Amino acid sequence: MIELKNLAKTFAYDKKEAKARQKKVIKDPREGEGVFHAVKNVSFSVEPGKVLGLLGPNGAGKTTTLRMLSTALQPTAGQILINGKDITKDPLYATKQIGFLSGKTGLYHRLTVQENVEYFGRMHGLSKDELAKRVEQIFSMLDMHSFAGKRADDLSTGMSQRASIARAVIHNPKVLVFDEPTTGLDVISAKTVLDFIESYRGTDMSVIFSTHHLHEVEQLCDHVCLIDLGESKFNGTTQEFAELSDKGDLYSAFLNVVNLKEVA
Amino acid sequence: MWLIYKKEILEMLRDKRTLIFSILLPTLIFPVIFFFIGKFTMDKTKEAQEKEINIAFVNTVAMPGLEDLFTKEKGFHKKSLESDDFESAILDKKVDYILEVPEGNGLPALVRKQQQINLYYKGSSRLNNILTSRVNKVMEAFNNAQRRQLGDAYNLSNDNVKAFNKPVEVERKNFASKREKTGEMVGPMTAYILILLAVAGAMYPALEIGVGEKERGTLETLLLTPMRKSHIVLAKFAVIFTTSFLSVAVTLLSYLFWTYIFTMGGKALNLDFLSNISSFDILLVGVLLIPLTSIFASIMLCASIYAKNMKEAQAYMSPIMMMGFLPVIVAFVPGMELNWKTAMIPVTNVALAMKDLIKGTVDYGLIGVLLISTLAIAGGMLYFATQFFKKEKVLFRS
Repeated sequence: MIELKNLAKTFAYDKKEAKARQKKVIKDPREGEGVFHAVKNVSFSVEPGKVLGLLGPNGAGKTTTLRMLSTALQPTAGQILINGKDITKDPLYATKQIGFLSGKTGLYHRLTVQENVEYFGRMHGLSKDELAKRVEQIFSMLDMHSFAGKRADDLSTGMSQRASIARAVIHNPKVLVFDEPTTGLDVISAKTVLDFIESYRGTDMSVIFSTHHLHEVEQLCDHVCLIDLGESKFNGTTQEFAELSDKGDLYSAFLNVVNLKEVA
Repeated sequence: MWLIYKKEILEMLRDKRTLIFSILLPTLIFPVIFFFIGKFTMDKTKEAQEKEINIAFVNTVAMPGLEDLFTKEKGFHKKSLESDDFESAILDKKVDYILEVPEGNGLPALVRKQQQINLYYKGSSRLNNILTSRVNKVMEAFNNAQRRQLGDAYNLSNDNVKAFNKPVEVERKNFASKREKTGEMVGPMTAYILILLAVAGAMYPALEIGVGEKERGTLETLLLTPMRKSHIVLAKFAVIFTTSFLSVAVTLLSYLFWTYIFTMGGKALNLDFLSNISSFDILLVGVLLIPLTSIFASIMLCASIYAKNMKEAQAYMSPIMMMGFLPVIVAFVPGMELNWKTAMIPVTNVALAMKDLIKGTVDYGLIGVLLISTLAIAGGMLYFATQFFKKEKVLFRS
């Protein structure tokens, strides 16, 4: 189980940035004196076997939250607990427990798919036997044997995304984080990713799934957390989220929470 | 077409980097740099022109007035010799020049034919050239005085005329070895090429594994593994260092190979001086480049990691390369020599030491000082790179 408690992240501006920010006509309410509170107070939890949809407009603080979760960024305040252990105090434990995939994370183009996946397996400390077993398991699950020997720069978008998934889960993490993994993918490639996430429902893994596509949330997520202006504005089941609007759909509910009127 | 041209120019003018590299650098920064290098060169030349020259005279009583011309001239200091071993006296730097009137020679105006003077010195650097020109100037004054006296004489024979035109034929005996003289020209060129290779060899991998990883999204993936950030940056540094040093090492190995081939041709190719450069000296040139390559690898890695994209990273590389070459240019200003002070100046010290190694005039004690100072800087730069890599603002700069 993963829990985020009152998570916050503040970035300090240097003088040049602070000057540029002062000139801005439209100011973000999160801007302080020489600082920017990218995440002010975000809390949510995901139980094993459940999928949480992380929603929010652009710049809401989703990626910053996920980067803190993956230990790439150090939180200014708050706790991130995996099975009760605070990972902000033990980032190495976190990297072993978390698998991360975003639309932006890439592969090493001059390595083959197998070399890419094995490289990350070794980085996570898997033994030779463990690695071989795990590679076989994932490649079969994602139907990757046909292109395992291909260089990453020769892959189609769909193949590339499957290879990225394999890379993200090679160390058998207990928490899977997907940051807009279907952005820029065609329908077939996106389906591969969504099917993969679906396959983790009911297992011992917790899945956090950040997306702008509300139909994907409807299809996959048990719970929803909506972040706006660096704060979690909603935490609950997908059904409860939909019920926030009179129409009972996620789209209207989203606009209600972020205080925007629905475009007719 | 005009519309596109105008739009492109507008965009470029709004790009601060274009303004800095296309306008600010050539109009302000380059002239300032060239001014300082020019001033530095002039100061060094002036220093050489004012340097005290220790000169010894042997049998100059045979040419009255010659010694006086030197001792009256500012900057000449008369020294007496302890032995007849002129070569040792010069190579041991007891005197800079020895002026000898060979037995049987006297004043040309009296003898009425050309006389000879031997001038002993060691000249293998541009500093020596400046000093020798000062000695020549005094000798010319002496010749002029002799010409005036000869002009008063009548019944001039061929010998008299010759003596009138050139009263003294100075036969120069330069004790600098062929290796020293050739090394004075080849040394700087070698330093330029090797330092250029070290810088260029570091640039491409630095771009590739720094900002290249950022752009491809693999850096963020790497940061999500249990690998410590300091280990990641050290591994990246090692790759840049290996590539850069490899290009230098291959060049040095190829030098050794071709030296062997050329020296087989020996005197016929006029390259026999190469055989005097020992493998140990070549090895030392390689050793000198280890800390230097480390410095460039660290700086370029920092710049590459800091850059938001490839374009920005490439913009940072040009000034880094320039900063690498300016100290090399400074190293070959006349009068610059490897000493305790210059051994502390990064890049300049390596260029000076390389020149001296090629010339065969290096002080191995100074090489030790140089290595310690450069290694300290390289270590500092590497530590800075590891700390820089840990900064969230650098890694996720957008």
